[in-house]
Amino acid sequence: MPAESAGQPYGEVYDLGYKHYDGERLGRAHAIRALIVWSMKRGLGIRKRWTSKIMPALLYVAAYSPALIVAGILAFLPTQVDFSYGSLAGFISMALLIFAAGLAPEMLSDDRRENVLALYLARAITPVNYLLAKIAAMIILMATIAFGPQLLLFIAKVLLADNPLSYFGNHLGDLGRIIAWGAIICVYYTAIGLAVAALVDRKGIASAVFIGGILLITAITNALFDATSGTLRDYIVLISPIELVQSITGWLLGGSGSTIGNLVGPAYLVGVVAAVIAAGLIMQRRYLAEE
Amino acid sequence: MSQAGQPMIETAALTKRYGSIVALDGLDISIPQAAVGLLGANGAGKSTLIKLLLGLIQPTSGSATMLGMNATRDAAHVRERVGYMPESDCLPADVTAADFVAHMAEMSGLPQRAARQRANDVLYQVGLDEERYRLIRGFSTGMKQRVKLAQAIVHDPQLVFLDEPTNGMDPQGRGEMLRLIQRIHGSLGITVIVSSHLLEDIERVCDHVVMLDRGRMVAAGRIDTLMRGGGDIVVRVDSDQSSLVAALIARGVAARVRERDIVIAPGGERDAIYDAIRDAVVELGLPLRGLQAGERSLEDVYIQTVGGADVARGKETVHAS
Repeated sequence: MPAESAGQPYGEVYDLGYKHYDGERLGRAHAIRALIVWSMKRGLGIRKRWTSKIMPALLYVAAYSPALIVAGILAFLPTQVDFSYGSLAGFISMALLIFAAGLAPEMLSDDRRENVLALYLARAITPVNYLLAKIAAMIILMATIAFGPQLLLFIAKVLLADNPLSYFGNHLGDLGRIIAWGAIICVYYTAIGLAVAALVDRKGIASAVFIGGILLITAITNALFDATSGTLRDYIVLISPIELVQSITGWLLGGSGSTIGNLVGPAYLVGVVAAVIAAGLIMQRRYLAEE
Repeated sequence: MSQAGQPMIETAALTKRYGSIVALDGLDISIPQAAVGLLGANGAGKSTLIKLLLGLIQPTSGSATMLGMNATRDAAHVRERVGYMPESDCLPADVTAADFVAHMAEMSGLPQRAARQRANDVLYQVGLDEERYRLIRGFSTGMKQRVKLAQAIVHDPQLVFLDEPTNGMDPQGRGEMLRLIQRIHGSLGITVIVSSHLLEDIERVCDHVVMLDRGRMVAAGRIDTLMRGGGDIVVRVDSDQSSLVAALIARGVAARVRERDIVIAPGGERDAIYDAIRDAVVELGLPLRGLQAGERSLEDVYIQTVGGADVARGKETVHAS
């Protein structure tokens, strides 16, 4: 029997008009979290065209493949040489350099060029909140490459050890060095990348300036190192991005390090801190100074 | 939080200087819960006022209160309850309208699920139905303006600033946008502040107006009150109109005959004009059959108060600052 003839309602009219919102409002902290998640998704090309996903995917493959291969070798050929974390660092730091070149402009350049920044700053967040969210988003993404492969290798070594618990206890220092190395390289490339992105509005140009600038400065500082003598030239490494990263790798994870890095380990942090301060000043000038 | 009947915005001696340039000069305004037009020529201080009220810049001196909160000290809280539609392009190209408006709702503190629901509802309300799943890159100017409006109201603000909301739209789209704005205030009770150089738009959607000139407020109030009684004064007598015109001109009143009436253009002290009419009629012994003050258009009000030479209707401009 049809519902209509049975006296039952057979349809309803819904008011699709605008309704006031009386649900919860989660405030500024929620807005900052939302911006971090949004920025991370955009950095990975999620909910964007498929072409935007290619580069991040390739970089993850490039960064994780060596660790997976090494873990496989350790599993099936346990008597072979023990792979050092420093041997993976070269792949990872190169992947991080390229990742930062693509990520940093994605974080800042578009928002400024497309004037979306005006909408963000008319919301609950402040310019400082905006910058912190962008920095956090980039560092989290960078960390997935900086820490992931090394931790994978560490876990493989622990699991494949004769006595995993004792191996873990005896190699906690390795874990500390992996974390310290990853954190330093993440912060360093993030600082330089965001500083460039804060100055250049076009993503492609910002990426090119970042990579080209790092390669050019490294080449110039290498030439400067060869052309000079005396103790001062040992400090040139502090302003030579790729050599600085290699020096920090040599210091924390072992391996060959840099040919121009002759300082004691912690001294390399001066170069990282200087880059962070310079980036902070640039971003302060671009985002926090009143018009 | 603003109580019913209290002003939504109040400023006291609000001043903003950029070096030697005075962008706002001791502004005292009180804006009620209404649809309010913000009028002024280039450099009048409209954009500076909006930035100050949103807490994006600091005043040099004076204070501003929005929704009962200090616009400088409580800026972030104020902005949670306020919407803003900028004049310029401000939309990302490679995002769908639904994703972007939902993200903006989250940026105003709405939980993720509610933000997505609100975004869909609001985009439907502004006339973007299936299009909301398309990338903004492919949108027309009118569609982008609708997305901008949607993001401004998605978090259900108490007050929304609309900066040149019909900018770049064709006549049909402009009409639809103005109807939407009327609904935002009329049906939803959201206080709307429209900054526009199009006097016709302001006249159509606003019931109040604030006119700025070189950082100062030159007129403010209900539009119908400002327009009332400020137009031509029309005098009707049965006979001897030419004698009355001569008598008025002798008293310094610019009068002329138009068909059966004598018309006096606005200008000068209106009380003095009425005194002159009374005296001339008595002196000539004429029976006064009618005396009526005509209404002004908003354009007349603007010209008389600001003296702007570049005021025009329709597409032409009182340049927006």
